Amino acid sequence: MNIRRVAAMASMTAILVAACGGGAATQAPASEAPASQAAVDCVVGVSWNNFQQPRWAAADQPNIKDTVEAGGGTYIDADANLSNEQQLTDIDSLINQGANVLILLAQDTKAVLPGVQKAKDAGIPVISYDRLIEDPAALYITFDNVAVGEAEARAVLDKVPSGNYVLIKGDPGDPNASTFLPMGWDNAGLADKIASGDIKILGPAEGTYTDGWKTETAQKNMEAIIDQANAAGETIDAILAENDSTALGVVAALTAKGYDFPPLSGQDGDPANLNNVALGKQYVDVWKNANELGKAAGQFALDLCAGTAMNELTLPDGFIDPTVAPVAGPKVQDFTTPDGNVVTSLILQPTPITAENLDVVINAGWWATKDDICKGVTASDPGATACGL
Amino acid sequence: MTNLVEAPSQPGQQPSGAGTSLRRLVAQTEIDLRLFGMLLALAAILLGFHFLSGGTFLRPANMVTLSVQAAGIAIIATGMVLVIVSRNIDLSVGSLVGFIAMSYALLMTDLLPNVLGMGPDFPFRWAIALAIGIGIGAAFGALQGFIIAYVGVPSFIVTLGGLLSIRGLVWYLSSGAAISGLDPSFQLIGGGSQGSLGGTLTWAVAVVGCIAIVALLVSSRRQRRRYDFPVRPMWAEVLLGVVGCAAVLGLAAFANANLWPEGLANRIAIEENWGPAPEGGWNIPTGLPNPIMLVIGVGLVMTWLATRRRFGRYVYAYGGNPDAAELGGINTRFTILKTYVVMGILCALAASIAAARLNGATLDIGVNYELYVIAAAVIGGTSFSGGIGTISGAILGAFVMASLQYGLSYIGVISPGQNVAAGIVLIAAVGFDTYNRRRGS
Repeated sequence: MNIRRVAAMASMTAILVAACGGGAATQAPASEAPASQAAVDCVVGVSWNNFQQPRWAAADQPNIKDTVEAGGGTYIDADANLSNEQQLTDIDSLINQGANVLILLAQDTKAVLPGVQKAKDAGIPVISYDRLIEDPAALYITFDNVAVGEAEARAVLDKVPSGNYVLIKGDPGDPNASTFLPMGWDNAGLADKIASGDIKILGPAEGTYTDGWKTETAQKNMEAIIDQANAAGETIDAILAENDSTALGVVAALTAKGYDFPPLSGQDGDPANLNNVALGKQYVDVWKNANELGKAAGQFALDLCAGTAMNELTLPDGFIDPTVAPVAGPKVQDFTTPDGNVVTSLILQPTPITAENLDVVINAGWWATKDDICKGVTASDPGATACGL
Repeated sequence: MTNLVEAPSQPGQQPSGAGTSLRRLVAQTEIDLRLFGMLLALAAILLGFHFLSGGTFLRPANMVTLSVQAAGIAIIATGMVLVIVSRNIDLSVGSLVGFIAMSYALLMTDLLPNVLGMGPDFPFRWAIALAIGIGIGAAFGALQGFIIAYVGVPSFIVTLGGLLSIRGLVWYLSSGAAISGLDPSFQLIGGGSQGSLGGTLTWAVAVVGCIAIVALLVSSRRQRRRYDFPVRPMWAEVLLGVVGCAAVLGLAAFANANLWPEGLANRIAIEENWGPAPEGGWNIPTGLPNPIMLVIGVGLVMTWLATRRRFGRYVYAYGGNPDAAELGGINTRFTILKTYVVMGILCALAASIAAARLNGATLDIGVNYELYVIAAAVIGGTSFSGGIGTISGAILGAFVMASLQYGLSYIGVISPGQNVAAGIVLIAAVGFDTYNRRRGS
């Protein structure tokens, strides 16, 4: 009887949470932005491809919104729920709602192009946010994904200059997984060290891909690789995982196998992974401070509204954290895309987080809170200092 | 008599003419030929990988990993058999597993300590969480079952809706973030060195299993005698008993050949003050991992439900001929509803393994489970036309799928290749089965 009641309560809670969370996240001021007023104010329309990954709603969205509203603009948005078609519809409706600038987190770099064309036809500037859109007219604001890979590999290579490495990659269909991040690894010296024989790759030489970046899949693959290494009498000295969801699976596999925790990389700054950094189960988590990315996008959107030419956009000094600003300063530069288009871009620098500089992310107001990051950390763990133990 | 015993031991040499007598001998043992064939197929797959991996594949450690990876799918597949046998389908299992896994994580990290005041030291928190998870599973199952059986919406539609909406609810539970940090005792459900029975208990379980096999053979023979049913010839009974016992004891020996990793043993030895390591290090057998015990337990209970309980017989009766079952006075609607409740409970068990193994839950736990579960049931001989399917077959089917997946990643085939292979095996298995049945009839 009791179990029934508790279960009912639990599902009811879930539905309540559902009702509250869903309403607040999207499209709040959409209906109150009549087209006539839009011409005067700056209406910034944002099309998100998804809110399933928590960072968009937790970090990017509030920062864009706050920056736009602080500058006197109006913020409207829509969530395409991982659908290319929905995103095109969303772009239409944002334009119809009077958006003067569009910020697009594209579900697909090319499928979004018809929407971009519509915006161009209507004379609306487009910012491709975080993910590249293959169109020279779109301003590209992102973190440097090659630099992310480079930071991952550099941290781990510094720690383990030679030995047996395992490479855990993301979804085979994602160019970040197959091209940019591995390019960064090689820039950090991985390819050279493999060629010179300092580093030997266990498992498939080109790395093990993880369908859909799924944690469970990464876990299963890693278990097989550990078994194989054990059978061959090899020790795993370090693991390069491309992102945090796969790194989480790697940690689970190492735990299940009673393995020690060799240096392991990841990126995203997810709470569970930063917690693993503090616990010494993941060595480095390359953090893309999306708060700053959101601020930059919001500011550029306002500037574009005010008529600043795209290639003259510059952020005020100190507007974004200097550690994430591009090396050449907080102004736009040309970037050549994989398809050979030259786009105007602002490419921010990622921050590698290890147990030594965990306080940086703790103090930045990141959506992973100190409670998340320091959960279960004891005085003997690497993150003890950052957690104030 | 000696002739009769020897004949089946050399099946490879029989000339085509002797086929009928051999078939008769095999028929006398009443072995399920399909199941036997599948065991052979599984053995062939394992041997194939052993060969491809240069002879390292069939190590106990690898087989333990493989079976733990198969456990979740195997458990749900036993329920899928009943659902498919009664001419329905359940596409929502993957999402339900995700929802319940996330519930476990939330319960132990947040709800139990912060809302219900049960701190980390509260006794049997893992069991409380598990019970709530099972309750959630049963509730979702009952809801879907009700809509299918009483409202009459096709199960494909209802559970397709469940697949979408329950996965959406997972997001609302967690806002998409991974949640980690489960109770250490809950983590033992997921296996690993500490989450296994250990050497002695494994042997004990094997001996009990052996005795049970013999007892079952004896009692079934007695029952048949009593009701004047034909009995198996004595040699067949003995053969079954010996082979069964040997299999169980062999399994135990194999599981016990898997040892605790050196580093872990040393670490725990220090933590728990075992004293200095003996000569040659700690050699602690892990024995059977907990998820496998769960699979064995679920397999036995489900087989009993399916073959010995009124509920199970009703399911098969309905699947064989829905109208006849209805006219025969079976409460078919309630029977259907119950299959979904059973399914929900099994999802909760599978979710506990997945969450325990991950020490938490992610948004994507359980994605595509429905496909693997249905594949396992179908490879195991469950027929979409209803009325046919066995629990043991489905479990074997799950192991076939898991062996492929694990084996391919063991020899370094990347994931798109694994998917290609899994798809081909699914079609081949069912195709072969259909061909065999047509030839048989």
